[in-house]
Parts: sequence; C-alpha cells; structure tokens
Amino acid sequence: MKKKTKITLKSYLWSSPSLLLIGLIVVFPIFYTAYISMTNMNVYHWFDYTVIGFDNYFKALFMFDSGFLSALLATIIWTLVNMILQLVIAYVLATLLNNPKLKLRRFYKTLLMFPWAMPGYVSILLWKTGMFNTEFGLLNQLMTKLGLATYHWLSNDLSAFICCTIVNLWLALPFMIMIIDGAMQSIDKSYYEVAKLEGANWIQRAYYVTVPTIKPIIAPAVIITIFTTFKQFDVVYLLTQQAGSKTGSGFHTILTFAYENAFIASNYGYSSAISIIIFILLIVFSATFKLKEEGDR
Amino acid sequence: MKKTIISLLIVTLIATIFCGAVGCNPTGNTDPSSLVIWHDKEEAVITPLQDYVKKALPNITVTFERKSSLTDSLKLVGNDPNSAPDMFIFAHDKIGVFAEMNILTPVTDIIGEDFKSEYLPMTLSAVTYKEKLYQLPLYFETLLFMYNSKYMLENEVPETTDELLEYMKNNTGRGRYGFVEQHSTAYYSAGWIHAFGGCIIDDSGTPFPNGQAVKDALNYHTQFVNLMPGESEYNTVNTLFLNGKADATIGGPWMVPSARDAGIKLGIAPMPTVTGTRKSLAPYSGVQGIHVLKFAAENKAQTVKDFLNVLTASEVGIRLAMASGCAPAKTDCYDDERIKKDEMVQIMRQTAEIAVPMPNIPEMDVMWTVVDSLLIDVNLKKKNIDASFDTALEKANSLIDAMK
Repeated sequence: MKKKTKITLKSYLWSSPSLLLIGLIVVFPIFYTAYISMTNMNVYHWFDYTVIGFDNYFKALFMFDSGFLSALLATIIWTLVNMILQLVIAYVLATLLNNPKLKLRRFYKTLLMFPWAMPGYVSILLWKTGMFNTEFGLLNQLMTKLGLATYHWLSNDLSAFICCTIVNLWLALPFMIMIIDGAMQSIDKSYYEVAKLEGANWIQRAYYVTVPTIKPIIAPAVIITIFTTFKQFDVVYLLTQQAGSKTGSGFHTILTFAYENAFIASNYGYSSAISIIIFILLIVFSATFKLKEEGDR
Repeated sequence: MKKTIISLLIVTLIATIFCGAVGCNPTGNTDPSSLVIWHDKEEAVITPLQDYVKKALPNITVTFERKSSLTDSLKLVGNDPNSAPDMFIFAHDKIGVFAEMNILTPVTDIIGEDFKSEYLPMTLSAVTYKEKLYQLPLYFETLLFMYNSKYMLENEVPETTDELLEYMKNNTGRGRYGFVEQHSTAYYSAGWIHAFGGCIIDDSGTPFPNGQAVKDALNYHTQFVNLMPGESEYNTVNTLFLNGKADATIGGPWMVPSARDAGIKLGIAPMPTVTGTRKSLAPYSGVQGIHVLKFAAENKAQTVKDFLNVLTASEVGIRLAMASGCAPAKTDCYDDERIKKDEMVQIMRQTAEIAVPMPNIPEMDVMWTVVDSLLIDVNLKKKNIDASFDTALEKANSLIDAMK
C-alpha cells in the first residue's frame, strides 16, 4: 500500500509540470471567466469591480431573445450541414485517393492539404475579395462574361450561408480527408477480398466493411470538428459581419450574435456571463453527443 | 542522484511556469531617464518624431514600440507599471474609455494650460473629456473629396451635392462610377448626417439626439447609394478609384500615396454642400497625439513634462506634415512656407473648420456597429427608414445599458 502511494505521488510529480500548464492555460481561464461573470467589471469599474452575484446572468438571459434563438437554430443547421458535407466529400475523396490505380497520389494529397497550410484569416479574405466581391470577384466576372447580371453573393441570408459553408469546407476538408485516408489505409485488405468473393459490390463493400471499420478511428476527429464548426466565428464574421464591411446578410452563429450584441459593449462581467452560458451549452451538447456515442457502442 | 536532479528540474520548471504566469518583477519602470511609448503608426510618422526628440532631449532614452492591438493591450495592463508603457500615441476617440478606467492623467496637469492657445480649436475639443484635456495633439486626419482629374475636369468638380448627383447620373455605367464612397459604414456616413444637422451620439451619451435629421440624411443619401456599387467596404472602394474605374471618392489622406503610386492625376477639393441645408458634408476627424499614463505622471513627472514640452514645438508638426502628409494640430505650422505649398494639408486645414471630432465618450464604441447595421438595412436591404431607425435606436439604448 505504501509503495503504491509512493508510485502514485511520483507519477503526479512527473506529470505536475504538464498539469500545472493545463491548469494555467485551460482551467484557470474558465474559472476566472466564471468569477468575472459574477462581477460588475466594465469600463466604469475596470479595476475597482465588485461581486454582484448573478445579475449579469439575468441580463444575459434577457438578451437571449428571438434573435439569439434564431442564431442558435442557424448554428445547429450550420453544424449539421457542414458536418454532413465534410464527411461525404472527405469520404469520397479519401476513397479516390486509396484507389490502387490512381497515379500521382502524393501530388493530389499535397494539393488537398494546401488549404490547411494557409492562415485561415488570409484564406477567408481571399475568398471574400477574390471570389465573392461584386466588382472584382471571379464569380461575378464569369457572370458578366456570360452576359448575366452580377449578384451580391454575401448580401442575403441563404446565399451568405452557402458561401460561408463553401469557405468552411475549403478550410476544414484537409483535416477530415487526412483522418479518413489514414483510417482507410489501416483496413486489412483481406476483408475486401472476402467481400468480393461473397459477391459484394462497391457500395456494399463501403457500407459493410469500410464504414464500420473506420468509424471508431474517425469518431474523435468528427467530435472535434463538430465543436469547431459549432463555435465557428472567423468564417461568418470575416465574410459577412466584419465591422466596416458588413454585407447585409443576417446569418449569425451564436458567437457572432453574442459578439455583436454583447462583447462590443466592453462590459466584461456581462460578456463573461454570456461566454459561460455558451460554454454550458457546448458542454451539454458535448455530453449528449458522447452519451449517444457510448450508447451506440 | 539522478532522481534528485530530475526532481529539482521539475520543481524549477514549475517555479518558472508559475513566475511566468503571475509575474515576479515587482519593481516597475521608474528610471527617469527612459520613456517607453506605444503607438500603432507607420514609420513615416514615428521616424521624424524620434529624430526630433533624440536631438532635443539627448539625456533621455525614448523607446517607441509599435503595438498592433494597442487599445486591447492597454485595457489589460494599463495600470500595471511592469507591463504598461509611460505614454502612448493614438487617436482621441478612446480617451473616454481610458479616462473612465482611470489610467490616464490630464496633460494640463503636467504642462499647464498655456499651450492651448496655439492649437486648432477642433483638436482641443476632440481631446477634451469631462472638461479635462487628456491628450497633447500632434496632428489630425479627416476625410477629403478626391477626384481623378483625368476624368473629372476642374469645372466639373461639384460644389453642391446636387451637382455631384448630376455628375454621377451622367458618368455611371458600364463598369464605371462617377463617385464612390464607403456608403454603408458609420465613419463615412457621419459626414452626411452632420450636414443635415444630426449626429450619431451627443456628449451626454444619448444616441441620435436629432432623429429626424438622421432619417432625412439617410433618405437623401440613398439616391447617391443607388449609383454606387453594392459593396461598400474599404478595399473595393479604394481599388475602384485607384484603378481609374471611379472618377471621385471621399477618402482619407492615407489614400494619397497609393493614388500617386497608381499614377492617378489626383485633385483634392472642399467637401460639397448639401443643397437643401446649405451645410457642407462634415466628416469625422481623428486627432492623433500623446496620452500620459498615471504611473508615469506620478513617477517620472519631470521627464514626462520635458518630453511634452518638446512636442509642443511647431517644428514637430511641420516635420510630421512633410514626412507623412498629415495635418498639424498647431495653428502656426500652417504659416510655414513648406506647409503652404502642400495642397492636401492646406485643404485638411480648411476641413478642420467644418470637421466634427469623433466622439470620445465610451458609449461611441457600440455606436459604430449600430450605425453600420442601420446603414446596411437602409442602403443595401432597402428597408423602411423609419422602422430601421427605430430598431437601431432600440439596439443603441440596449447596448449602452449593457455597458454599465
């Protein structure tokens, strides 16, 4: 028993630098935000703030009017659409990359990883000006050449949603392709040989062999991507809601909505309360998803 | 022995992480012979300033540090002498925020009131918050009416907005525009609102105190917007003008070097007058200058005083104007022969008479977004002006409430 305690203590000692770092970088900010959310820290009480209890939460819940609910709904649809498209497209591309007859496979893989190598901010602004801009964008240039009227791609909710989805897919697909491609390469080839002998066609082999085999491998990546998509800010904000270059679209995720309706007020107590509410929403979402995953197993 | 060394290393690592996180230097920067100044300016502004200060104050080491997110950094460390600078150079519109945060010292507490008589009244009013001057103005920027004289001839330069509209109707089409501006952003639209007697927010923090004037301005402005591209962001508008696809624009002095590089035959004219109100488009102005942080004012009083006194010299403004084309805040700089020849600086001096300083109260922070949304609703979504205005007013009040 004594030896066991010693081993346990030692293991904590060895891992203490990492634990301390995680504590400082991950855990401390969460608790500090929760603490600030209970104070009146704002421009008028920047350094002399006091604890005011749950006032900011009441104010924040009052702010969560129909605008917030429609943003929440839009965020759920945005997450679902993006995830389905990402999985389908990444699966198809990974399957094609794993075709033994494919030549220049490494070249295609490098090409598909390219969006990942570019900083997201640069990519988004390039899409905005290079593709969707009404005056200089490639899409409108093509439409002009075809004799069609130009279109303001980012101005209405639906077209802005589609444009944001395209950019998000462009940014996120390399990760998913890489994971699915890696998972596919780990499948024992004899499974396919047996399936072929049994007379399974391409779709049946995919359904009965590939998908069940790669599912546990890609599950963590899918969960990570669901959360990064759910809390997406950059793509939607930079394409449509950036201060000084708003496009007229009303499409908001919960984060862009919270930014426009709370964070700009420089009331850190209030903004922290909203952050904690969004954090709780994500935790609930995460727990529900994980429970479902475990239930499926 | 090996285990002891590893244990010691781990303890050292933990201590380092902890010190890094909480900061273990309790002393602060109190050396009176050195000053640290944060800024977000380009070299053209800082180099002449640095050179002048170096000669005028050889015994003081002044370090200019460029910060990309200066205001955010100050919000975090403004009261921490270990991390904060002694002073910073920034536009006047954040004065209210920093004064309320209690990290600024009024410059008049350090160098007195005498210098005020030598400065343009607009610059002094810009830097005054709750009757105290929190900035020593160096120069100001404002928007200018610019035209490409290859396309817009001297006799076509509009003196009134009706003339401008007529010009736009005659010269817009087939991928070309008679006039472009960032029609749906608050900073650019403020000039139109002011010309109708309205304003975005008043000194007491009341949004749109004269709502009817704002609505009239929006209504009148839409006929111009209809002749401009739907895209109103900075890059599109500038590129159209710099590529010769737009004959005229309203832009800041920062556009001038790019226009000259692009080979544009640049003309600068006074702002057109709105025919109905007989008032010129009155753009916002931004006054750039030095702000002093409390810690420096208390611990390096004499050094800060010497530094500020040096910057009140007219030569500083003249050198800045010559190096970067900005308009000095001191009145007598404009009498200098070198400055008299600079058409752009002289027109900015004229515009200073009508320009409205950006509000410096903290409430203005939320109004940029509110007005942007209002302009988008009216100009791009073609929504009803009254309804859009009511929505904007409600949102402004709610965000201002949320600040407290």
